[in-house]
Amino acid sequence: MAITVKFLSAFQDLTQGKKIFFVDQDRLSKILLDLERQIPGLKAKLLDQEGKIHPAYNVILIKGDIQQLCHDLDCKVEDGDELVIAPIVSGG
Amino acid sequence: MRGRMGGFLKGCGYDALVIEGRSDKPVYLRISEGSCQISDGGHLWGKDIQQTEKAILSDPKNKNMMVASIGVAGEKLVKYSNINCELQFFAGRTGAGAVMGSKNLKAIVLGGKRKTPVVDMKKVKNLLKEINTKIQTDGTCDTLSKYGTWNTTGPANLNGILPTKNFQITTFSEINKIDGDAMLNTIYAGKRTCPGCPIGCRRVVKGETPYSFSTEFGGPQYETVASLGSLILNGNPYVIGKANELCNLYGIDTISIGVTIAYVMECFEKGILTEKDLGFKLKWGDPEGIFKMIEMISLRKGLGDLLAEGVKKASQKIGKGSEQWAMHVKGMEVPMHDPRGKKGMGLAYASSFKGADHESSMHDEAYQRENALPELGFTVLMNRKQYDGKSALVKTLQEYWGVMADVATICKFPMIPPRPLKPGLLIELMNAVTGWNLTIKDFLTIGERIFNLARMFNVREGITRKDDQLPSRFEEVLKEGGSAGESYPKKELEKLLDEYYKLRGWTPDGIPTSETLKKLGLD
Repeated sequence: MAITVKFLSAFQDLTQGKKIFFVDQDRLSKILLDLERQIPGLKAKLLDQEGKIHPAYNVILIKGDIQQLCHDLDCKVEDGDELVIAPIVSGG
Repeated sequence: MRGRMGGFLKGCGYDALVIEGRSDKPVYLRISEGSCQISDGGHLWGKDIQQTEKAILSDPKNKNMMVASIGVAGEKLVKYSNINCELQFFAGRTGAGAVMGSKNLKAIVLGGKRKTPVVDMKKVKNLLKEINTKIQTDGTCDTLSKYGTWNTTGPANLNGILPTKNFQITTFSEINKIDGDAMLNTIYAGKRTCPGCPIGCRRVVKGETPYSFSTEFGGPQYETVASLGSLILNGNPYVIGKANELCNLYGIDTISIGVTIAYVMECFEKGILTEKDLGFKLKWGDPEGIFKMIEMISLRKGLGDLLAEGVKKASQKIGKGSEQWAMHVKGMEVPMHDPRGKKGMGLAYASSFKGADHESSMHDEAYQRENALPELGFTVLMNRKQYDGKSALVKTLQEYWGVMADVATICKFPMIPPRPLKPGLLIELMNAVTGWNLTIKDFLTIGERIFNLARMFNVREGITRKDDQLPSRFEEVLKEGGSAGESYPKKELEKLLDEYYKLRGWTPDGIPTSETLKKLGLD
């Protein structure tokens, strides 16, 4: 099972500029645990004090041509899916 | 206008400046505490904004003063020319530069140091400390601080809302060359901040030959990266930087000129305009063509004279069906958020008294979670692609964010959910400064009154429901990207307008009723 995680204009200080990571998990909660091992400090930034996805960021699940937001850590992923972690769009 | 102009004007002892009439010859206005002079500005006429500022500030009597001026585009009454302040801050959109130009007023020079009385300074300091601490520690402004508004480019492309090829598509094949990280790795040269702000969203940029541009000007923000980038299929950040600087020097709005150039490029693509009309061939993404277009429009040279009127009037004159890809609402060019992927934004564009304005209401993405703005009653998650609930959201945010942030002259960025300047804190801060006792409801009512007053101005000028519309291109279905399958059918907009007018107390034709005006004290 291979899940691709992409960082888009987010957490580049923590990832040291690396934008793509690979994990082998089936739920967002497990993926974040895996990512935390690769990117120490990520969870503290991506999750809020209640342990939910920080409202300043979106975790977007991409299944082929279909995109959907992960609203909680229970979000299920499947082999070949892609997750993108990005700030919310807020004008400019 | 962001930056220091508001503070300087207040320092002169004024809250607002109303300039009536017109001078027979070029002048500039010099205001200090207790003094207001109209001075000869003949030596400034024809100068760009940098030359103008330098000329004014080199006069010893203007030492330590602040300059707001127009460029040549404003002098030539380009309908989307702007007013700049200190080479970095712009009152863009809606052609404020042309208004100054029409009065032969080249610049306003401000130099007051009067302190603003504050009723409860201790409370103000405590509240500011609370807000600033949250901004620096709660994580909601981190990417804005690191990338500036370039934090939006990549996500907008991912979501399929990034206007590309004159809104024909909403994802850009060269996004990796102009997204936030690409800009940091190419033209980024530092950051600036407005007075007292801990975010520092303003980028400083620098480019060398062949596309040299200086750090002295305000760098391109997201809107400009898109309007002079993806919208015209330009994937070169240095070309964006150079084009941005040219627009700044001439004093012209980067959104409107990008949309105008995109319109002309599409006219070329479809054979409606040719080399004979323009004097040169114009292809999508062509750097030299982009620079020439900015000059032609700013100086009203050749076809630029017509294009300086905006895409609405230009397309009516050029015709041949080109009105269909002239992207405007009420004559103002559409900003860089495709409403097919954010439905509330579509209603906001259509119903704004200014025309298509991305700062007049809200951004749907901020409300895709529960309890986004509970103090204003928005607790239910709303998908950016849904229509339900958007009428009430747009109306309330037009008052709270669109109007009142401008009236209170507060930056809108920290007010966007989930950022920390919440309604309660903002009003507490205002009350501590003024000694008033406003509630959130009072605050919104003031916004509603202003919004209706502006609408009545528009009604007087013949604006009704027929003008609260979106360009027909948005009825086309997007075929790819994060908003694939989405369109903005006219019937859906009409449904939203019905709901929206009812909420506002307007007639089905979009005119405030006498009862509504009476309720708001505007009768």
